[in-house]
Amino acid sequence: MSDLLAVRELSKTFGSNQLPAVDEVSFDCQKGEILAIVGGSGSGKTTLLRLIAGLEIPDSGEIVLEGMKINGQGTFLPPEKRDCALVFQDYALFPNMTVEQNVFFGKAAKKRRQEVEKLLELTQIDDLRNRYPHQISGGEQQRVALVRALATQPSLVLLDEPLSHLDPELRNSVRDDLLNLFKETGTTALFVSHDTEDAMAMADRVIVMRNGQAIQVGTPMEVYTKPADRYVALLFGKTNLIPLDQIPDAPHHFQDDRSEAEVVSIRPHEWKVITKNSADSGTAISGRVTHVHYKGNHLEVVFESGGMQIIFNAPPKAAIKVGEELAIAPKFD
Amino acid sequence: MKRTLSGLGRGFLFKLNGWTLSALILGLLIFIPMAAVLWHLTDPSENWKHLEETVLTSYLKDSLILVLGTVFFSVLAGVSCAWLVSCCEFPGRKVLEWVLVLPLAVPTFIAAYAYFDLLAMIEEEMIPLVIWARTKSLEDLDTVIFLLDSLKYPVTILVMASVLYPYVYLLARASFSRQGSQLIEAARTLGYRPRSIFFRVALPLARPAIVAGASLVVMETLNDYGAVKHFGVSTFTNGIFRTWFNMNDLPGALRLAALLMLFILFLLVVERILRSGAKFEEKGTVVRSFKRYRLGPAGSTLAILCCLLPLTFGFLIPLGRLSLWAKESYQKILDFSFLELITNSLALAAASSLLIVLVATFLAFAGRYFKNPAVHASNRLAILGYSVPGAVVAMAILLIASPFNLSLGILLTGSLFTLLFAYLIRFLAVAWQPIDSGMEKNCDRLNEASQSLKASPLVSLLKINLPLIRPSLWAAGLLVFVDTMKELPLTLILRPFNFETLSTRTYDLTSNSQIPESSVPAICIILVVVIPVIWLNRKMEARK
Amino acid sequence: MKSLLAIFIFLSAALCANTAEINVYSHRHYDSDTVLFKKFSQETGVQVNVIKGSADQLIQRLISEGKNSPADVLLTVDAGRLHRAKEAGILLPVESTKLSQNVPDSMRDPEGNWYGMTVRARVIVYAKGRVNPAELSTYEDLASSKWRARLAIRSSSNIYNQSLLASIIATNGPSKALSWAKAVRKNMVRSPRGSDRDQARAVASGLADVAVINTYYLGILANSTSAADREVARKVGVFFPNQNGRGAHVNVSGGGVTRSSKNKKDAIRFLEFLTSSESQQTFSAVNYEYPVKIENNRSDLLKSWGTFKADKVNLSILGSRNPEAVKTFDRAGWE
Repeated sequence: MSDLLAVRELSKTFGSNQLPAVDEVSFDCQKGEILAIVGGSGSGKTTLLRLIAGLEIPDSGEIVLEGMKINGQGTFLPPEKRDCALVFQDYALFPNMTVEQNVFFGKAAKKRRQEVEKLLELTQIDDLRNRYPHQISGGEQQRVALVRALATQPSLVLLDEPLSHLDPELRNSVRDDLLNLFKETGTTALFVSHDTEDAMAMADRVIVMRNGQAIQVGTPMEVYTKPADRYVALLFGKTNLIPLDQIPDAPHHFQDDRSEAEVVSIRPHEWKVITKNSADSGTAISGRVTHVHYKGNHLEVVFESGGMQIIFNAPPKAAIKVGEELAIAPKFD
Repeated sequence: MKRTLSGLGRGFLFKLNGWTLSALILGLLIFIPMAAVLWHLTDPSENWKHLEETVLTSYLKDSLILVLGTVFFSVLAGVSCAWLVSCCEFPGRKVLEWVLVLPLAVPTFIAAYAYFDLLAMIEEEMIPLVIWARTKSLEDLDTVIFLLDSLKYPVTILVMASVLYPYVYLLARASFSRQGSQLIEAARTLGYRPRSIFFRVALPLARPAIVAGASLVVMETLNDYGAVKHFGVSTFTNGIFRTWFNMNDLPGALRLAALLMLFILFLLVVERILRSGAKFEEKGTVVRSFKRYRLGPAGSTLAILCCLLPLTFGFLIPLGRLSLWAKESYQKILDFSFLELITNSLALAAASSLLIVLVATFLAFAGRYFKNPAVHASNRLAILGYSVPGAVVAMAILLIASPFNLSLGILLTGSLFTLLFAYLIRFLAVAWQPIDSGMEKNCDRLNEASQSLKASPLVSLLKINLPLIRPSLWAAGLLVFVDTMKELPLTLILRPFNFETLSTRTYDLTSNSQIPESSVPAICIILVVVIPVIWLNRKMEARK
Repeated sequence: MKSLLAIFIFLSAALCANTAEINVYSHRHYDSDTVLFKKFSQETGVQVNVIKGSADQLIQRLISEGKNSPADVLLTVDAGRLHRAKEAGILLPVESTKLSQNVPDSMRDPEGNWYGMTVRARVIVYAKGRVNPAELSTYEDLASSKWRARLAIRSSSNIYNQSLLASIIATNGPSKALSWAKAVRKNMVRSPRGSDRDQARAVASGLADVAVINTYYLGILANSTSAADREVARKVGVFFPNQNGRGAHVNVSGGGVTRSSKNKKDAIRFLEFLTSSESQQTFSAVNYEYPVKIENNRSDLLKSWGTFKADKVNLSILGSRNPEAVKTFDRAGWE
């Protein structure tokens, strides 16, 4: 399968800043794929998106979309000529136009009346068509912005924090709706999110960025279970960084930039409590329980072993008490 | 309807106190002269039939041509310069940005005098054509004569548009500056080039600002007396004067004035309606620094020329000509009496400014603090005076004051107080706008807090509102100052005994065909007004 | 605020002053007047305060001010306006032997409400060289189609034209006057615009061949500081119409005592002074206006235009038929 989008060593530094906003980022994206770009604020994810959209001019590097170099040596294709559409973080709906006028604003959209009408129905906003943006809710505005972008049938849809302005209750259902919409329409999408949960739920692959660099690119499972470094590991949730020598048969390990030792990332739910005299006491770690928190569907146990603190999850009804001496071992399945 | 009426009644009864009562009375007092004029819509004057049959259509036609032409060119110049200066980058932009406002310092009648011979010069070029046409058929001759005659329209339109475009320029510039870059970017990602985006996104979003600027241009065009009289265009205002003075028909003139008022009110209502429904400002959360379009050498040259054109016609040429004339004739004119002119003009403008800012602040505060719907309504009525030409305001005052002259034995007409009251009626809206919106933005919440803390209204006004709206107060004061200095028709009619201002002296000299000498008081007006105009412009700065 | 107060105090003082003075509402704004007013004050000790304005506005003001008006004398530049002032009831009938002697019957109100003090004739000026004066005869002739697109004349809002038309209505009747006005409008090379001087300039430049203006403006042009204007005066010839008939149309500048005057005695003295023969000479020498007794003219410039027969109709008809004239202009489409 050929790449729909290929980004090669893209770099951009703003004005008089010392550090680049985007630093030699490379990745590619297949047709029909949904890619998430995650990272903390200032990691350069929005800039990367804008570079692809053509709203910023990179200092060096290449972007190839559908085999056509839209950015590279001597070429810069302006945004209006690129075959991608951007959905802005706060939707950027034209306040003086109705929903219908907004949706059909795109040049290509006007020629695809029927398909766009289908989209309106699909997203359940077709009865809002005569309202103005300030007259509809946030979730509805988001859908309008989405349909407006999709209406032009772009090869690539770029979304900047699509879920961040939504109420928590709305989040989940919108996330599912989006995913369904993309899959149904066969859309190739690239979205930026600071929420890793959203990213993992929706994306086929994830790009993790920090300080402008792409630290790791992989499937959600890959980045979650096999993080490239401490930053990636911690980005996706709580984890324990255990020195490799304690867990020699770990399937994956990386170098911790803080301690410069090789560590293994083992998540709280990847531990099992070993009863004494068990078969796999080889990789067991013994220690004392210092805290137990009841979390409803599990117990969060804080465990101390040789100066190292480990957090692991136990079944909610497990009989673990503070001060107890235990042994735990990672489960690699 | 029933609900709001009873709500009105309740609000009226429960919240009537010293403040609101006085505000109500003051507001109505200011409105009464206007009402007296409007009443004449019903009053049949014997001459009306004659007016209808003969001149009414030509007043309508000339007014329409002048207004449409002036608005068209004002909007063209104002919007294009505003957009270039707000959204593009080219050499000289920073200077052009504030310099483009300067024609506001030139009153329309002075602009007309600066171009007084323009029409005559063009006619002289046409002489060979006329001589030739005399030898041709009657139809050809008629056509040539018609063409010759029509020249006065483009000349008058040019003169008016070149000094009135800043109204559109200022408002459009503010609007373009406020437009978030996101909408432009969104349009680009949806496939539009920058040029189309101007017409499809930026312009529609700026529409309310442009329409507001255009309505100011309409009102100023219809208010003018000196310029249209000079070039022979018979607008409504001209017609009002004619009917009043020539035919000695005050009721007929008032009826014309009432029609004019009605027309302008109609325009304002239409403007309001056009604005409803859509919103024109984005709830901007992410305000990215806007990237101006950098223009290449060809584009920059065009941009600079585009901006220089209105500036040249509206300020450089008038100032240049007037300066030349002034240099030749200032010895004849400048004497001690001239100093009196300057002090009269300045004192009048300052007094008017002070009075109107005080009244506007009082009325705005009374309306907002007590949330009294009756006061709101009377305020809206009181500011209508701006939509009426100065001449009509003067007539309204004379109408009201004449019965008092006889019964009270006090000379109401011909006193400075009457003149100031007339200015109040005419210019209240000018001060009201910035003060009321300043209070809306800054004070409404705080007033509520102050009321719950049982502080007296006076304390709230003095300690909370006034300090917070100080920039609005300054803006209001300066605007009224500028408008009063530039005012002519009202002052001409109502000025007291032996009281002359720079405006009236300019007019007198020009009606005596002493056009070069008239340049001296004219230049004084421009020079005095330029300073507040530049200062005001700073307050309404476009984005950096 | 202080200066405002100062102005107000000054004005109130001026209004309440009890020293002998007269307040003159004058449309005239000439140096000759200033000189004469000063002379009057010197000779009589009566201070003359002048408020200048257009006659229409002054009359409106007098009407509004009513009996509380501070004005003693009203001076205008047209008999029609004087008549209008009389009709509005703001003038006072006065009599004095001096006034009766100084001012001929046709140049004053029969009831003594106003008296003329200077005279201007409304004449035809023509392009020397392009127009043979033999082609000119009467005002009525200007309606002839031979003048098609060759005539320049100012707006009908101007009182001088209104007075001219009033005299034509009085002589020829309303319907003939209407036809005349329509035909003259058709003969104009451009729609009415500008002052009398602009009409003369149009003739000099070649745009028009004939124009109708007041003699007074010809004097202004001939003595202008601008060389271009003097050239204009040289290029045009003066023709007095209707010499074989009723005579050329004339108009007076004049004045009357106001009904509200608090100092009628000095007001009458003022009028007598202005119509005295010395003052009359000043008007003709300095201001190119004919004296009220035209034959007393001693100015060379005025003499150079030739002697002429003036229409002897009483000039109050200019006022009494003014409303008709205005309406006739409207009907004729003469803006």
